[in-house]
Amino acid sequence: MEILIYGITNSITLALMAIGFSLTFGISGLPNFAHGAFYLLGGILTWIFIHQLGLPFFFSAILSILVVGVLGFILYWGLMLRLRGLAINEVIATLAAAIVIIEVLRYLGFSGFTYVLPEFVKGSIPIGNVWLDYQRIILVGIGIALIIFLYLFTHRTRIGLAFRAIAQNERTAISLGIDSDWTAALSLAFGSALAVIAGLAILPLGSIDTEMGYDILIYALAVGIVGGLESVPGIVLASFILGFAQILVATFFKAQWLTVITLAAIIFILAIKPSGIFGKYKELEERV
Amino acid sequence: MDRMLDVKNLMVFFENALALNDLSLEVFRGEIVSALGSNSAGKTTLMNTISGLIIDMKVKEERRGGERITLLGEIWFEGEEILNAKPSHRIKKGIALSRERHPVFPDSDVEENLRISTYLRRDADLQKSYDFVYSIFPPLKALRKRKAGFCSGGEQQMVSIGMALMTQPKLLLLDEPLLGLSPAMQGSLIKAIKQIREQGITVLVAEQFARPLLPIIDRGYVIENGMLTLQGTREELKENPEVRSTFMGV
Repeated sequence: MEILIYGITNSITLALMAIGFSLTFGISGLPNFAHGAFYLLGGILTWIFIHQLGLPFFFSAILSILVVGVLGFILYWGLMLRLRGLAINEVIATLAAAIVIIEVLRYLGFSGFTYVLPEFVKGSIPIGNVWLDYQRIILVGIGIALIIFLYLFTHRTRIGLAFRAIAQNERTAISLGIDSDWTAALSLAFGSALAVIAGLAILPLGSIDTEMGYDILIYALAVGIVGGLESVPGIVLASFILGFAQILVATFFKAQWLTVITLAAIIFILAIKPSGIFGKYKELEERV
Repeated sequence: MDRMLDVKNLMVFFENALALNDLSLEVFRGEIVSALGSNSAGKTTLMNTISGLIIDMKVKEERRGGERITLLGEIWFEGEEILNAKPSHRIKKGIALSRERHPVFPDSDVEENLRISTYLRRDADLQKSYDFVYSIFPPLKALRKRKAGFCSGGEQQMVSIGMALMTQPKLLLLDEPLLGLSPAMQGSLIKAIKQIREQGITVLVAEQFARPLLPIIDRGYVIENGMLTLQGTREELKENPEVRSTFMGV
């Protein structure tokens, strides 16, 4: 029972961490290695808004989602614009941006037990013989709501449809008047904002640690690679596979194996199906 | 007659390779004009230059310091010079392209393909446009909930032209619409092109299959190695021995 409940919440947590990264990559082919840094930055900004500027929680949360979203947008126009289509350079540039953000935050000392985000609702309820805190239940709710929201957004709205058009065939989309730079910048902004939303849901479960900036990236990558980047069903499935694998390993072996199993999953999938469970192999020329 | 499109001395270089060489052509309102040419004659480059895809490619290549694309000459559309205009600007002006080999959005259903194509339109009356496309291509109506990737080549070609029509063009550019289609399918597409013109849309079509196309065109150009080698009315082209031997196998 414990394994089932914590497996589910852990899986949704992973899905939340991965969805922004996957969205950006799926739409514009941009690997945003600053994803984890944005997650961390969003959490710390919210903390600053609440504790140093005295703003109410929800206002702080929305403000940091917006700030990081705009940062994602700027990251595209300032840095990625010239690198489009050069995969290695894209990785190096976003990873460099990530290191700058994370290390500056580390230097400023934003780490440790002081830096805790408030839970949405305090307390916990028993499910069977397991005590589950409300935050984890809300987290599951946010995860499900986000996936539904993203589905509706990409199928019903003008910008969402443009996102899917660019993802499917960039040149045809351009020939219909869809601006590929504008969509790519928006997708990076969206992905970054989603990283913050994930942070706001997950971070209250513990205290903020700058190391998370790197961990989140690795988890997002693992989920993306196992499930197939750009595939939402793949992301959900991979989150559940990895989520349960992590809980099982942590329960029956040691918690240290948690990261090992995640990285092992990446290597395993890359060895047998490099495009991921639901991923499709794309010709290089299609991507550029 | 009202001159709609006027291409003057167009030159397109990819690095140092000359793709279009001093090419001039004009299209009058209400015409169907063909640009005939064999493979790699420069037809697609011409279509992409008029639709703006080349300029988009040029901007992106230059940003990352890649291949140099050079464009020289002038393209006039309804009194505006558009050689360096963005593709979106040209669509707003009324130029739409159906690309070679009908690249549609495979994971979207047919209707969503059409809907995506209205991205630049601000009016809400899409139903009228859907009905227009379905009236030109009746088979699409039954297929509207099918993923475009699971449609046949001919059906995808219809979707591709339908998408261009959804932008409400004045000038429709068709890049090899007959390529890879069965003779029967070619026949129904030719009929559709005629119908599109009857609705007041001017058509410029690049093609290598002259035989089915010649009967419906008003005028035509022949392109070889990026150069204009011949131009004339339908009758002149039909009678021309070179056209007959190169494009009709006579």
